Amino acid sequence: MSNNESTPQSRLLRGAQRTLTGLHPALESLLAAVVGLLVGAILMSIYGFDPWETYTGLIKGAFGGSYEIASSLSRATPLILTALTFSICLRAGMFNIGAEGQMYMGGIASVLVAYFVLPSGLHQIAGLIFAAFAGAVWSIVPAILKITRGVSEVISTIMFNWIARWLALYLAIFVVVDPLRPEKTLSIPMSARFPVLVRGTDLSYGLFVAIAFALVIYFLLWHTAIGYEVRAAGLNPSAARYGGIRNKRTMFLSFILGGIAAGLAGAAIVMGLPPTYAIYGGGGLPQLMNLGFDGMAVAMVGRNHPIGILVSALFFGGLNAGGRVMQFYGAKPVPLEMVRVVMGAIVLVMSIPELIRLFPMIKKRGEELIGSMRRLTRRSDRRESP
Amino acid sequence: MSFNDILSLLRIALHAMVPLALTAAGEIVGETAGLFNIGLEGILLLSAFGGALGAEIGGPAVGLLVGMGIGGTVSLLFAVINTYWKGTQMVTGIGINLFAMGFVAFGLIQLGAPGFHDVPRAMELTKLRTPMGLMSPMILVALILPVIIYWFLKRTRAGLMLTAAGEMPEAADVAGININRIRILAAVFGGVLAGLGGAYMSIAWLGVVTKDLSAGRGFISLACVVFSGLNPLLALLGAFIFGFFQALAEWVKTLPAKPIPGEFVSMLPYIITLLVVSGAIGRVRFPKALGVPYRRE
Amino acid sequence: MSDQVTPSANGFFLKADRITKVYSDGTVALKEASLEIRPHEIVGLLGENGAGKTTLTKILSGLLPPTRGRVISPKGDVRFVSPREALDFGIGMVHQHFALVGTFTAAENVALSHDRPFTRLRIAETRRKLEGLMEESGLHVPVDVPVEKLAVGEQQRVEILKVLSRDVDLLILDEPTSVLTPLEVDELFTLLRRLKREGKSIILITHKLKEVGSVTDRVVVLRRGEMVGDVKTAKASTEQLARLMVGQALEQKADAVELSTEEIPRKTVRKAIDRSSEGILHVKNLIAKGNTGEIAVNGVSFDVYGGEIFGIAGVEGNGQTELVESLTGLRVPVSGDATINGTNILGIDPRQIYRLGVAHIPEDRWELGLVLPFTLAENAILGIHRWKEFRGPLSLLRWGKITQHVRRLMDRFDIQATGPNAPAKSLSGGNQQKLIVGRELAKDPAIIVASQPTRGLDIGAAHYIRRTLLEMRDSGRAILLVSADLDEVLAHADRVAIMYEGRFMEVCTPDELDRERVGMLMGGVTAKEAE
Repeated sequence: MSNNESTPQSRLLRGAQRTLTGLHPALESLLAAVVGLLVGAILMSIYGFDPWETYTGLIKGAFGGSYEIASSLSRATPLILTALTFSICLRAGMFNIGAEGQMYMGGIASVLVAYFVLPSGLHQIAGLIFAAFAGAVWSIVPAILKITRGVSEVISTIMFNWIARWLALYLAIFVVVDPLRPEKTLSIPMSARFPVLVRGTDLSYGLFVAIAFALVIYFLLWHTAIGYEVRAAGLNPSAARYGGIRNKRTMFLSFILGGIAAGLAGAAIVMGLPPTYAIYGGGGLPQLMNLGFDGMAVAMVGRNHPIGILVSALFFGGLNAGGRVMQFYGAKPVPLEMVRVVMGAIVLVMSIPELIRLFPMIKKRGEELIGSMRRLTRRSDRRESP
Repeated sequence: MSFNDILSLLRIALHAMVPLALTAAGEIVGETAGLFNIGLEGILLLSAFGGALGAEIGGPAVGLLVGMGIGGTVSLLFAVINTYWKGTQMVTGIGINLFAMGFVAFGLIQLGAPGFHDVPRAMELTKLRTPMGLMSPMILVALILPVIIYWFLKRTRAGLMLTAAGEMPEAADVAGININRIRILAAVFGGVLAGLGGAYMSIAWLGVVTKDLSAGRGFISLACVVFSGLNPLLALLGAFIFGFFQALAEWVKTLPAKPIPGEFVSMLPYIITLLVVSGAIGRVRFPKALGVPYRRE
Repeated sequence: MSDQVTPSANGFFLKADRITKVYSDGTVALKEASLEIRPHEIVGLLGENGAGKTTLTKILSGLLPPTRGRVISPKGDVRFVSPREALDFGIGMVHQHFALVGTFTAAENVALSHDRPFTRLRIAETRRKLEGLMEESGLHVPVDVPVEKLAVGEQQRVEILKVLSRDVDLLILDEPTSVLTPLEVDELFTLLRRLKREGKSIILITHKLKEVGSVTDRVVVLRRGEMVGDVKTAKASTEQLARLMVGQALEQKADAVELSTEEIPRKTVRKAIDRSSEGILHVKNLIAKGNTGEIAVNGVSFDVYGGEIFGIAGVEGNGQTELVESLTGLRVPVSGDATINGTNILGIDPRQIYRLGVAHIPEDRWELGLVLPFTLAENAILGIHRWKEFRGPLSLLRWGKITQHVRRLMDRFDIQATGPNAPAKSLSGGNQQKLIVGRELAKDPAIIVASQPTRGLDIGAAHYIRRTLLEMRDSGRAILLVSADLDEVLAHADRVAIMYEGRFMEVCTPDELDRERVGMLMGGVTAKEAE
């Protein structure tokens, strides 16, 4: 039964079969999303809202027009990055909960470009570098603590989140504050801002940064030797060691990359969000707040794969953007907060492993489909070989 | 700083200690048995909200019970997913937090005012007059419960069983203990306590429900748990320390001339936890099977 | 509290009736094994690795359900759903890997299996009972020290006390002496004899023939899941037992035909070894500790030359694993020397060892040899992923070349899978092992360390791998073959060392050995003692 002969036909079938089995995790995410939306619908009904109308408003607000799509993409941008933080480290076998704090520090660091003058282009790069650096520094300490003293990275990153929150608040209110409008930091100058991608929206080139980074991570993890080592160490540290991989190095690298990603998320907000291009201090840095945690949800639904994350971030970005419209839509509009309820429900459902197993019908159909494709493949091979 | 100031500081600190102490003590029971619940934040929020509603309907006692019930139910869901279905505890916890954030904010809007909701004075748990001022009786509960839990864990066979389930489930299994069941019970108990802490916040202390009432207290409780090395008495101490610093930060903010920015004072509890965890990691030792679902060979 | 089962006219306490156990991955651990257990008796359960001894006793003690067959008491069928039920019935097992909570004291561990949860823990009372028990049994342990701080021998005593405290009628001990000093072994056996006098039944799982001779009344031999012998100890000689254990039935059964198809031809063509050339691998006085801190490799010295297979035989657990780990960079030994072509290989990174031309086929293919969620292609480069052939500029992996490589492996080694991108866990055990072997051999190594390379494989796959190793030998490489499968070692090795308790009992050529002698050596009986 050699799979080496191939006809266009059988290759196509095999490709489809492979895609189908590869789609299996994607299906689980889809299922979780559906269930989450269902939970939202149920809740809405209980409170007397109309789920159909609400979801229509949601979809319209997310993808109804070019403005809406741009809005969704804009919201997706930082989520892509904070999701990558969580996912990169998870691939290395670590739980980095610190995207929130790393992002705060990155955001504050990118404000620093307001202090000097550079030509446009370089100025933005400077901002990105500052932010990436700050994020990386903030995540290195938990990494070092884990590697040298075995401190649980879950606890240390959470602690650093809180320290960052207060530190960033302090810096935003007292150090890099705008003297004319003390409720926010300095706005970064024109030369450092990301150009807006779609006129009239808040979608900026920051999106490209995020997508580019995601692609870089994809290539790194799946197409380089070091990325291979990271993934191996995350899946089976013993086998990795047997394979000559230094697990401490992979841990360290993943944390640095994760920190960079979160830092860039902060930069994306500062450098890419009109009209202010600054950070508001009041109420705990409201523009940045929770983007780190939401990123984790995005990561999980995206199955911790950069491509999946791009899709998932679009979905969650759409939820957020759509939510803004949803809350004014229709006869009895639903408040924005319902979006977070749906997000939480989706993640909860995702935490049930092998979700598809719980739905025997889906599993059976799926297996039948794969089985029949396999048979088709074999048959076509046989037909061709004399 | 006058004597009255110190008393006032202490009073606030003790009040702030309560939700932390209760939640941490409850989580200690859960972690001893092997379950790591990062969703405490969400439970606090939900039970604060639900408890307030319950209090409005039936008075403070009902409110507290409702809070406990909510905490227990959410923890039950968490526990079942992670024992019988072998889920990832981290993910479930994060899901609970997200859900709670949204749900409470949503619910608040339904009640009228977006973002907050006052609990009618009459429905609050009455505070008692003491030399230090008005104090909630729940403080006593928060002081006593950790002691009881400590005794329970160390001096009853059930406590022994719990510890065995978290440390070496194989040994507990051989001794005839149903690992999954005991883990679920432990988690539910922890949830009930956290629920009590959450309801306390809205009914017996702050008198209001806001959409970020928990303010990270769930995570701070986790820090207490780590700080304490799963010892309820040390967790109580940790809770007091955290409460004290929270009170201190508030007080510093009211000073006309600020010696240290309030933000740095707020950072202190976390820095201290970090130091304790990093320095004492040899001493602080977690159950070997923490976070690992149990499968019989 | 145990049911006091009075021996019926038949005089048995418990009977295992044609127990068959098939694990979920298809391994047949037991095939229609039957055993009768009587009071006032110590039964030795003898067999090699994988013979099924632990499985049988796990079924008897309630940890596992049988696939077929039943357990009978004089009162009728019994079925244990949990270890607790078996304990209540009167069956207690002392496991090889202790079921003790390390942070608990001995008293607390004992208290764990006693009754009612919400009462106050009467540790003082338990302690008193425990002390009484210690007096009675002669086993002494510190009562208030966390068990993990005790020496291994003491820990085992806690295990035994724990079981005794439940007043059991059947006591099962799984390889109890593997962690004891000779003095402690004597004490244990004195205890067992006393328990026997009191009317208890005892099953002693062991692979050590000497022990069987010294303390058991009856010996039951398991081989590959089947009961092949049930004899009174007094009537059996060590030679007979050895033979039973390793594979020649006393009576000529129809199975003899089966055996011959399984049997590996004993004579394979061996090149004369050119001893004038430097040995490739030199090991001198290697001492290494195991995971629990006790000495596992106790002063081993040997050399392996190019063009030969050096076999290490012996029941698993006698230090082979630690020896291999020490030589492949996975364990840092305590002392000793080991070099490959003059370069030291102790205490260094696996990657550096591989660069010296070493290939390692690990004994645990799931935990060490493969990253199961990875595809075949990804697994095929584990350890060689940094080679120039597979890695281009910027450290980018050349998936094209890698896929080519794995396809070649799939062809050459006949690895059945849906394609190079199939996840490794979708492969059968045999194909997984072939992947590992292929991967390692593709490194064109100078020396191959193969640890249990055919364990759990079907005959076809095993045969294939053995043949491949022979080819490697014939092309001049040095091969270190560690295997608990005696047939395999004897048939393929040019020189054999029998490993027992961390030492090499003897190093010789297979011609100088016969089955019987090997069995004895594996069981710890030295040549002199046998005479």
